[in-house]
Amino acid sequence: MKLIKKQIPLAIVLVFGTLTLLTYFVPHKRSVNFLETMNKWENIVAAFAFFLGLINLFYSHYTKISRKADGWGYSIFVYIGFLAIAIPAYVSHGKNMDGSVLTWMGWAFKYIYNPLSATMFAVLAFYIVSTAYKSFRIRSLQAFVLFAAAMFLILGNVPLGQMIWDKLFGWTSYAISDIVDWIMHVPAIAGKRGIMIGIAIGVVVTALKIIFGIERQYLGKD
Amino acid sequence: MSDTFLIAGAWISAGLTIFLFSFLYKDNPFFKVAEHLYLGAGMGWWAQVYLYGVLRPKVWAPLMNHDWMVLVPTFLGLSLITQFIPGISWISRYGFTFLMGYGAGLELPTKLATDFVNQIGGTIQPFVNVAGMSSFALFNAVVIAGGVICVLIYFFFSVEHKGAVKKASNVGIYFLMIYFGASFGNTVMARFSLLYGRFDTLYTFSASKYLYATQFILAGLAVYFIVHALMNRGKKEIEPAQ
Repeated sequence: MKLIKKQIPLAIVLVFGTLTLLTYFVPHKRSVNFLETMNKWENIVAAFAFFLGLINLFYSHYTKISRKADGWGYSIFVYIGFLAIAIPAYVSHGKNMDGSVLTWMGWAFKYIYNPLSATMFAVLAFYIVSTAYKSFRIRSLQAFVLFAAAMFLILGNVPLGQMIWDKLFGWTSYAISDIVDWIMHVPAIAGKRGIMIGIAIGVVVTALKIIFGIERQYLGKD
Repeated sequence: MSDTFLIAGAWISAGLTIFLFSFLYKDNPFFKVAEHLYLGAGMGWWAQVYLYGVLRPKVWAPLMNHDWMVLVPTFLGLSLITQFIPGISWISRYGFTFLMGYGAGLELPTKLATDFVNQIGGTIQPFVNVAGMSSFALFNAVVIAGGVICVLIYFFFSVEHKGAVKKASNVGIYFLMIYFGASFGNTVMARFSLLYGRFDTLYTFSASKYLYATQFILAGLAVYFIVHALMNRGKKEIEPAQ
């Protein structure tokens, strides 16, 4: 039982991990074909993983409704929202446009999904600003540097910032966009590169641990 | 699509937008309805993406052409569903281990090349042509190289941060702060551009062509808040359980 419960899954990780890793270093047609097949397989398994999440979500909201838990009425709208997109998608065979005409799917995307997702992220603008107000209270030089970089970036992208800059520093012959450009391409890139290199080392170490079966937490308990 | 559906779409779009914005005033049932609809609609959207973008062309179509190899990832995928059956949930490991193995094998060389080797290369490369560089370009290259080294020292915990290491690490913090500030500024601008977009949509749907959808919904919501406030005057608002 240990063989099929633990050792074969670990062998799958080792075999698929090593073979996929090797394809990067083997510029052969077979290697490319193998990677393409694996990519297709990954898409298929990931699709099933999504449906696993979907079933889980539906089940948790079904439980909430059946137990009449606090706010159970809102759970019904999860199903309504799902059907509001899924039914038009089924009718339109997953197509947004039929030539130049909007399909039912396109209609549902334009008037239901898009307003919801865009507004949800737009609302965050207010919270970002209020959080910034709380966290940007300049207590140290480091906080001031963070604040100054953010302010340059924000003001540099709006006409008001250019107007203020022209009024105060117009004599320097530099535009605020030049300053923003310099911040983004010199000091910010240095910070970003340091983080990227650190993350890359972390990813490489974690990937090796997964391939060689040292990291097995994702297997869950026996 | 007929005008009726465009008007209905305008009312739904304006309504959902205003319901979500209403949270800025305070938590209310309209926001919660829109929030749950978003969750469901988001899942619906991804479900159709996976159904029509993956399962139909990559599983159903090959099976119809007697390409039985797709049964392997299909069974690996189906194995995930056993997560819901406690006795045989270990079968889901087959699917998960495939995803983990493939992901690790793919990420390892890609990250090493793009985020490690290429970043180090990009930092060193400007110094190859020092003689042909302007003094400003040389200054920039030195700032980038110095900044990267200082940031890496900040993240290097194998030596105690004291003396020169501490000083370099402190300089690294300033470069990180500039990067975080710049990222924050960009995020704020991206969110605000979405916000302008939503306001523009609300303005569009306030036209007579759409039967003043924005105005009517805004007025309706204002009436709700006023009536709700009047009915609950003097009552202490119960905080939701955390």
